[in-house]
Amino acid sequence: MRNTVSDGPRTTLTAFYWAFILYLLLPLTLMMAMSFKDANFVAFPIGDWTLDWYAKVMQDKQFLEACLYSIMIAAASTLAATTLGTWIAMLIVADGIRGRTIIFALACLPAVVPGMISAISLRIFISTIDMPTGTAAIILGHTVHAVPFVVVMALTRLRSMPRNLVDAARDLGADGVVAFFRVTLPYLGPALLGGMIFCVLLSIDDFVRTFFLGGYRPTLPMLIFAKVQGGMSPEINAMATIVLVVTAAVGLYAEFITRRARTR
Amino acid sequence: MVNSNTIAGDAAGRGASIPKYSTGIARIVNSAIYRHTLGAAVESRIGRVILLAGVPLIWLVMLHIGPIYQMLKISLLSHYPVQPGVESHFTLDNYAIFFRESLYFTPLIKSFIFATAATAATLVVVYPVAYYVAKIVKPEGRSKALLLLLVPFWAGELIRTFSVIMLLANRGAVNVLLREIGLIDRPIPMLYTSFSLGFGLVYLICLYMLLPLYSAIEKIPGQYLDAAADLGAGPFTRFRRIILPLSKDGIVSGCSLVFLTCIGVFATPMLLGGPNTVMFPETISGFFHGASDKWPVGAAFALIMLVTALIAAGIFMRLVGGKKGSAI
Repeated sequence: MRNTVSDGPRTTLTAFYWAFILYLLLPLTLMMAMSFKDANFVAFPIGDWTLDWYAKVMQDKQFLEACLYSIMIAAASTLAATTLGTWIAMLIVADGIRGRTIIFALACLPAVVPGMISAISLRIFISTIDMPTGTAAIILGHTVHAVPFVVVMALTRLRSMPRNLVDAARDLGADGVVAFFRVTLPYLGPALLGGMIFCVLLSIDDFVRTFFLGGYRPTLPMLIFAKVQGGMSPEINAMATIVLVVTAAVGLYAEFITRRARTR
Repeated sequence: MVNSNTIAGDAAGRGASIPKYSTGIARIVNSAIYRHTLGAAVESRIGRVILLAGVPLIWLVMLHIGPIYQMLKISLLSHYPVQPGVESHFTLDNYAIFFRESLYFTPLIKSFIFATAATAATLVVVYPVAYYVAKIVKPEGRSKALLLLLVPFWAGELIRTFSVIMLLANRGAVNVLLREIGLIDRPIPMLYTSFSLGFGLVYLICLYMLLPLYSAIEKIPGQYLDAAADLGAGPFTRFRRIILPLSKDGIVSGCSLVFLTCIGVFATPMLLGGPNTVMFPETISGFFHGASDKWPVGAAFALIMLVTALIAAGIFMRLVGGKKGSAI
């Protein structure tokens, strides 16, 4: 096969790609670099370097509490979203279901509605069912947000599943429930694990839903938002850097898992 | 023979003999609790349907439609939350307010212009990158090239927005660099303007454009391009006549996704925008914080935004994509 892209455009495009990577990474790198600045205001050049801000963040009770709170919410909403998303996906692929397209469209609805509107509608919804704002409401909101992604991921995997696996299980005497837990669920496993990590990241990143549904206990994004509005300090940079490094590591791991699942 | 008969008999008439499982699951399946609840349910057709469809349908109707429905209902009420002594009645006033006051009208138009501009800018910037990864990078290197693009997106919305401040602030990297070189004496005010907001928005959402574009461009067979080149088409003609039309699906879904996300972005304008860039989401949020009797107006405005955004995205899909609903 001949290469149709001549050298001119090829070099330009390569340069453009790397320029784009630079554009993506530069602000984050600057943000991380600033967390080592030995002064209590945010400005370039950095001058002296220090690790003090990290020491300060690590002793910041508010930050540690926000971390725990965020992780708790992420765990709860991920668990709920994974269960519901898988269940909905099973319904969509089931035999003899009418209105499959409608169910699928419904399942995807929260992903299409802009975040702000979804947050407001949920705020109204919880007040009509007399549910107070706070932890439970946040978990509910994050779950609604995450379900469509789980559904799509589970569906993709389910569609590649050989039909006869479940048939064989049924022939051997497993009822529907047993066949699901012993055959379908293990088959879905890797895709679901990737989906779960994605849900965790969605939940930890979410700002607008938490903003409308939350009470007085701040989650991580709420805390960072409040601090940014309150005035810049390298302490925020240190906080954001810690969060960034942890979420990036988790994201990379998720990417690794889903990739392995796809090739297997 | 005898063996296969027994197995067939087992499968047909269950309960006659208990199926044997090799692991601990047998204990659950054979336990009285299981047999009387789930086990009994899956025996009958109705039980199976309820087990399969019950929870998903309740969830979908309650929480995927419910909130939007409640928002619609409240947007038509004169008062909410209902206070003692105040009658709440049906009204269209909340929608009328929007059209009467330019104070409310302008932010929506601004939001639309901004979202459209950001979408266009994202498309122009991301297209070459997607093309490069899909067509020029060798297949072995593609996932690495993509992964490098994905890394920044594991940082959340807020952290990415915050990092843009580092770049654009008066004592941020760009201004300090320009001053060091000697191009400027005093910093260019970039933060808290439309520029910083646009820059931040593009930075925030380019992934949503990248992935659909990449998957569309990757599907274009290389032979088409070879054939066109053999027939004498130059690079520009090849791009215009082959690559662009064949990547249309990716453009449509990428643009719709980016547009709908941009419209609903809430934190970014608050952090990167200034007094001149009050967007519609911020206007709406004002009705929910503070005096709570403005909820119906807020709900009406949110619906106006949702409907206009979806219509705009729909028109765009129809115009560019040819057939409706081909994208999302």
